[in-house]
Amino acid sequence: MPSPTSEAALEALADPTRRAIVARLRQRPLPVGVIARDLPVSRPAVSSHLRILSDAGLVTHRTAGTRNVYALRPEGFADLRGWLDSLWGDALTAFAAYVDRYEEGDRTP
Amino acid sequence: MTIDARTQPGPIAPVVKSVEVACAPDLAFELFTSRIGQWWPLLTHSVYGEEAASLVMGAGIGEEIVETSAAGERSIWGTIVTWEPGRSVAFTWRPGLPVEETTDVVVRFTPTARGTLVELVHTGWERWEDPISNRDDYDAGWVAVMARFADRASFPEPE
Repeated sequence: MPSPTSEAALEALADPTRRAIVARLRQRPLPVGVIARDLPVSRPAVSSHLRILSDAGLVTHRTAGTRNVYALRPEGFADLRGWLDSLWGDALTAFAAYVDRYEEGDRTP
Repeated sequence: MTIDARTQPGPIAPVVKSVEVACAPDLAFELFTSRIGQWWPLLTHSVYGEEAASLVMGAGIGEEIVETSAAGERSIWGTIVTWEPGRSVAFTWRPGLPVEETTDVVVRFTPTARGTLVELVHTGWERWEDPISNRDDYDAGWVAVMARFADRASFPEPE
């Protein structure tokens, strides 16, 4: 089960425009004007997507002069990795529980 | 603030998990493989979810891991590539995913004082990376991997 944080992150990444924004930020931190360049959506829409990514913990921003510069937040992606990690954790926990049941005599084939 | 340029250097780190179980390696291997349908959490971790009916792992190299739905649909999760009863099993892994997104899983069974240590290592995430991305990027892959996950809501299912 994903944590609330990783759930918000997965939802944020489910949108193709937001994935395009993330792909752009993979190179380096960028101001919103540069992020919006070439994207087929309006600049206010890009700002709105950035806010969703920011609320999900995937993006952070700082003010440089009069501009807001956005950057990926690696910890946000680390949370997601933890969620993936937990999938196998769930499976192995279920396996260990089954071995216990089996050893206690429940040998239903 | 600064972004650490070395957050995820090089190949994407494997997912490593382990659990100790209270039985000998031979039995642990047997239960893990031939009885996978008895213990796998199909309801939460499957292609068909609530419609999932069974999960079967064949015995031997080239055999498949197959989920079947209540309606009789089949989803191949992967193919066994190493088969050493009581010691290790390795398989390709692509539940609900196209062949090019296949990753690799190895499970090793090691005797301990209490029973068996079951260690699972899941690698091959590089294949999920965006081919146009630069491997020197500071995220080095997990962004693309998680974006793919978000694309594939069917498995594993984020709730």
